[in-house]
Amino acid sequence: MFVFSTCFKLTYDVEFLKCIAKIGEQKKSYVGIKKTSKLNQTQQTHRPTSKVGKQHHSLHHTCSSHLNADVNSPRFVVSFLCSFQLKKLFPTRVHSSLCNRLEIKRNLKSSFQFTPFGASEIDSKVRVRLRNITITMEQFEQLLTCAICLDRYRNPKLLPCQHSFCMEPCLEGLVDYVRRQVKCPECRAEHRIPYQGVQGFPTNVTLQRFLELHIEITGELPDPTSGQIMERCNVCSEKAYCSFCFHCDKKVCPECKGAHMDILRREICRINNQIRRSIHRLQDSLTLVERNTQSIQTNCSSVTEEVDEIYRRLSKALKDRTDYLRSEVDRYLGTELRTLTSLKENLEQEISNILSNCDLADKHINETVDWDDCELMDAKEIFLKTVEFIRNFEYENSDYGRKVRLILAHDPNQLVLHVAAFGDLNISNQHQFGGGGGLLQPPGGPGLMRSKSDHRLASQFRQQEERGYDKGYGENTPEELPLSGRKFGDRTSRSTTTNTDRYDRYGRTGGTDYGDDYEDSSRPARSRYRSRFSRHAPADNDSDTEPTTRGVRFSDQQKERERSLDTEEVTRGPLSGIQRLADSPRVMKKLQENETIKKKEKENPPPVPQPKVTPTPKKPPLANRQVSEEDEISKIKKQNKGATTSATTPETAPAVTITKRTEEPEDRIGNTRRTPASEAASSDEESDTSASSLQQNQRKVTKTVTIRRPSGPEPVTAHKKPTRSTSSDSTTSTESSASSAIRNSTVSQTPEETKPKFVARVTESTPERARTALSNTNKSSSDQKTFQSRFLPNRTPTVVTAPPAAKEPETSSEEETESEEESEEEETPKPVTNPDMSRTDIGALLARSAQARDSSDSSKTPTNSYTRTRSTPKEEESTPSYTSRFMNKSKTSSNVADDVEDEKYTAPKTRYSALKDRRQRLARSKSSHAFGDDDDADEPISPTTANPTAYMQSRGYGSTTTTGNDLSRSRSSHALKSRENSPDRTTTNEKDGAALSSWARYLKNKYGNRSSTKDKETGTGSVSPSASSSSAARRLSLGLPLRSSDVGSSDDDQKNMLGSPTTPTAVTVAAAGIAAAAAGISPKDQYLQKSNLLFKIGGRGSEPGLFTWPRGVAVGPDNSIVVADSSNHRVQVFDVNGNFLKEFGQYGNGEGEFDCLAGVAINRIGQFIIADRYNHRIQVFDPAGRFLRAFGSQGTADGRFNYPWGITTDSLGFIYVCDKENHRVQVFQSDGTFVGKFGSIGNKPGQLEHPHYIAVSNTNRVIVSDSNNHRIQIFDVNGKVLSTFGSEGSNEGQFKFPRGVAVDDQGFICVADSGNNRIQIFHPDGTFLKSFGTWGSGDGEFKGLEGVAVTPNGNIMLCDRENHRIQVF
Amino acid sequence: MAALPRRIIKETQRLLQEPVPGISAVPDESNARYFHVIVTGPEDSPFEGGLFKLELFLPEDYPMSAPKVRFITKIYHPNIDRLGRICLDILKDKWSPALQIRTVLLSIQALLSAPNPDDPLANDVAELWKVNEAEAIRNAKEWTRRYAMDN
Repeated sequence: MFVFSTCFKLTYDVEFLKCIAKIGEQKKSYVGIKKTSKLNQTQQTHRPTSKVGKQHHSLHHTCSSHLNADVNSPRFVVSFLCSFQLKKLFPTRVHSSLCNRLEIKRNLKSSFQFTPFGASEIDSKVRVRLRNITITMEQFEQLLTCAICLDRYRNPKLLPCQHSFCMEPCLEGLVDYVRRQVKCPECRAEHRIPYQGVQGFPTNVTLQRFLELHIEITGELPDPTSGQIMERCNVCSEKAYCSFCFHCDKKVCPECKGAHMDILRREICRINNQIRRSIHRLQDSLTLVERNTQSIQTNCSSVTEEVDEIYRRLSKALKDRTDYLRSEVDRYLGTELRTLTSLKENLEQEISNILSNCDLADKHINETVDWDDCELMDAKEIFLKTVEFIRNFEYENSDYGRKVRLILAHDPNQLVLHVAAFGDLNISNQHQFGGGGGLLQPPGGPGLMRSKSDHRLASQFRQQEERGYDKGYGENTPEELPLSGRKFGDRTSRSTTTNTDRYDRYGRTGGTDYGDDYEDSSRPARSRYRSRFSRHAPADNDSDTEPTTRGVRFSDQQKERERSLDTEEVTRGPLSGIQRLADSPRVMKKLQENETIKKKEKENPPPVPQPKVTPTPKKPPLANRQVSEEDEISKIKKQNKGATTSATTPETAPAVTITKRTEEPEDRIGNTRRTPASEAASSDEESDTSASSLQQNQRKVTKTVTIRRPSGPEPVTAHKKPTRSTSSDSTTSTESSASSAIRNSTVSQTPEETKPKFVARVTESTPERARTALSNTNKSSSDQKTFQSRFLPNRTPTVVTAPPAAKEPETSSEEETESEEESEEEETPKPVTNPDMSRTDIGALLARSAQARDSSDSSKTPTNSYTRTRSTPKEEESTPSYTSRFMNKSKTSSNVADDVEDEKYTAPKTRYSALKDRRQRLARSKSSHAFGDDDDADEPISPTTANPTAYMQSRGYGSTTTTGNDLSRSRSSHALKSRENSPDRTTTNEKDGAALSSWARYLKNKYGNRSSTKDKETGTGSVSPSASSSSAARRLSLGLPLRSSDVGSSDDDQKNMLGSPTTPTAVTVAAAGIAAAAAGISPKDQYLQKSNLLFKIGGRGSEPGLFTWPRGVAVGPDNSIVVADSSNHRVQVFDVNGNFLKEFGQYGNGEGEFDCLAGVAINRIGQFIIADRYNHRIQVFDPAGRFLRAFGSQGTADGRFNYPWGITTDSLGFIYVCDKENHRVQVFQSDGTFVGKFGSIGNKPGQLEHPHYIAVSNTNRVIVSDSNNHRIQIFDVNGKVLSTFGSEGSNEGQFKFPRGVAVDDQGFICVADSGNNRIQIFHPDGTFLKSFGTWGSGDGEFKGLEGVAVTPNGNIMLCDRENHRIQVF
Repeated sequence: MAALPRRIIKETQRLLQEPVPGISAVPDESNARYFHVIVTGPEDSPFEGGLFKLELFLPEDYPMSAPKVRFITKIYHPNIDRLGRICLDILKDKWSPALQIRTVLLSIQALLSAPNPDDPLANDVAELWKVNEAEAIRNAKEWTRRYAMDN
């Protein structure tokens, strides 16, 4: 605040302005304060001094709130300020009501006048002053306003007349570029523009100071566009302050951008509707899946039942059989046992009997016992019998020895196998999932694998993705996901921070994905994927220095990163990877903001800073950053406190802010980083700044995090924890190199351990450091190798070669230790988080410099090396996106190049060489081959259409014309070329025309050729067509123009000659050509046959296709018919068949306007050259009919005209004009520069009287219809008379007022003998050949002939003036 | 279509907020570059009391080129022809971007009070004005009464 009283007497205005400025500043707070209706102390302190009446309470309040208590503001100042400020700020309702209260009236001059309110309090003197001041203020305002844009001056430039205007766009718009002067809008003084343009005018420094002052005191926001440069909008090409539009990837003006956003919104709506409409597909799929679930269940259960059934049956059969067999065996055993037992018993009895007999006999058959003989005999018999029995008895061993054997019907082993595989399950492929849509189709797989249920789809999807990433950088993999791994709305986030951030602007020109990827690399939630997909992404366990493993490793980490990309805290569709928008923090934030805004409208402004406010402190440019850091921190602290205290909203709010904060710097880093990358500029300065910026960013991050932690919400740490644990899990495998070991340990150790260790490591002895450094160098060199090998083919080494600041590592390490210390001081439960986090940040940031660093420092600290080891892969990871971008670009450009090359290549070849070429191209690289194929696809058309001529010529006429082959080849090539350039051939022709030296050759060739042609013509008639065509070929081969008279549609013409009749004329021409060729007749005979009307165009009228007194006629390079529709003051263009194509011109004397134009000619590049008769000038139009230039005016001097009439142009582009009333012919260069003139009034040779029409042959003979002398004169290009023929009369070879003349490429001359109403055709030497036509209005009858033209194929077209039509013969 | 330049917006605002006495210019609803203008006949001129309708169109490159202005109400004036076209130098070669709609309309109003028969557009009117000014003024008054007062 400043003190009014001290200086207000001296410099009122300024002080007032300052007051107003302050008021303006507090404009917003005013409302708030008024609402709170708290009277602050300032007011009270003021009241006695200001003595403003109580009824002005509120106003007074306002004022006092604007002026601090220490300001001894004079009371009138206060009241004035009230009024003025009110007028300024509250023009509407508030204003009026308050004004009423103040009793302020506005007079007509719209300045303020105070009615005496509290007259006793404000003395009149002061009031007068006040009024003066008010007026002064207005004037002051006015003085700062540019008279052109009525806006505040923007870069005011001082003209010599002392008037100032904004440089852009005001003064720029005033510039008269033709005269290089600017006319002051105020005083109309004309000033020359300085050499360097309007910016060469001195800047009005005084005014600029005033502007600054004004800005300073009004507190008006500086023009947001002040620093920017106006550019042409890439869409509407208006000059505006453009910004980047993500919709079209162009810089566009705000309007277009808005429109594009609308488009996007509409598109989203539309797509959304589509989705809504087609969501049923998914739902169908869902129901289908459900149905499938059911059917598969039923199916399986039935199969199970079947299996069970079979089992039952089989087991039953088996059991029955087994039982049966067992019982059989038992039965057998029983009977056998029984018989054996009885046998045993019998035998035992026998034995005992016999033994007793023997015993008895031993004992008793002796002398002691008296046996009678009978008894002895019996005994003897018994014994004999016994002996006999014993001898005979034989146990039938075999009988009882037979064994039972189980005879099996089948081989038991087989049987077991059979039973074991008694059934198989056959899953048929289709009908299980039938109709489930392509997505749900299972891939073919063996056996039961196939029937794996659908969850495999998800993993398949993932695998595919990963495979995509494995394939590497070349693929456009990032496009597979909708946001390509970005967080939702990231790019828009950048566009919101556009205005203040310069880096941003630059950065945005680079690849966008680049920065985004960067940001992602530090996203904490890597773990989820790691754990989930550890199968696909084996731990990054290798630290070897071999490049091969390196490659593997990279891809692995890529995957890892990809995973980390995917895991924004957002639900994703498992199949499509589509995010659920409602879960995206950004969306949540937006919606929340919306709500809060709505709320705000109802309530007082909330004291809590909304999320949106948080990024704003980060906006100021880098330079301010350092200074404002403390402030920022405190601000953030405050905000955080506020956030936590007022955290009545669900946890989402803090969560969002956290993520926001961590992202934001990253974002910025991404931007800064992109600058060097995209520009490929290796300026150390830049990287320095970026380095410092990142330091700061990073510091902020760490700080905010540390601050945050105690205050409660823990999402960050929550994310962190799993990360660490899982990654340690996965990385605990064999890591040998020191760096990775370090890393491993850091990661896997518990926080408490890590801290000391980490610190210790910083101060550790050199050996380890050296080792790590070494391994790092190795590593990074190999890294480099892989980079390059990948990048080089893509021609984007830029990223690789961007060298970093050598300082970077040191500073960053410092940074780290610092943050570490901080965290120690804080003594938070998880101190590692900070270093870890910062490290990841640094890692990401330093990635760029990794390569250069490895060469530079052996003094690297382990921390650095650590970051490096981490960062390198990250860089790698981040590359794909932008490389793919680059690649695409370079590819496309090279494609274009290829295309062009190929075109050039293939075009000038005949079919043979084309074939050869194709073969060559096949041998080329794949990419170019692909495009070569494109060409090839085209080629078959062209050879068949255009090349046959060459082909046939080389075949058929090769023998007669020695050079025919070559010529035809090149000719046809030219035809091809021009064909490719069609519809308008300008480019080729221009190119051709540019080489003037070739013209000399051309002329020479032509003449040489001509003579030879003539020779041949006279020799054998049959050769002549080929000769002529070969001459044409030669002409074409030399890149020759097609003149208006012998305008050759090179290809069409040739084509027709060889008969591929497509158009009516083509038919006739072809017929004629063929007839000519067959009969061996010369064009002479062709002309002799003339007199039959081919067709006619027009009739009287002013509609398109109708004429009023057509005069000039000419043939365009594409065989179009161009007619000067004289009294309709326009030019009409018809196609070869007389169909109306276009018209241009109207009555007047402005550019592109005509007044009874007469002659018309078309030069070799298709420009229309018009003799604008009554305007006495020549106008030139481009092939599209747009005005190019005009030259000439009425007069008799060189370059002036008196009713210019006929006009023509020769092969060199010179323009010949019949200057009718000056009785001369004037020659100009194509740009209108006068070249020469010939002729004067008279009837001697070389003199002219009312020359009307003119034509130039391709032998540069200038044929003029010397109308009033009733003759044709032929001049050479220098104006020397070559010959004269004709005289007044109506016999053959005589004329009455001949007008139109034309000459064909054979030199035959066609004259419109207007007085005799006939066409006469003459030999090149002027001897009569043919005449036809008579007076009348029927076909082939004329009334008042005007211009004549001959098409390359020999058609004669003429302007039948009084019949208002064109007739073609 | 390109957006309306700020200058036109500003001019329009000012025209509406601080209208010039005797002149009203209202932009067309559908085309902000087209204005419906009503100019009152200046006092002490034969056109006094008349309300003259004009149309004013700001071309694409306004203010670098002059607005196109035309009388819709018939007026008997040597510098205004029967089609309503106005012969006024600042509408032609003397146009300056520092001029505005209001200045143009003021100039036209001034032209009404000071006809210039020496640089005529309507020859017959100019002739009469030179030969018999009283008659001409009478005619002008009559035309004003007839065409410019009824509505």
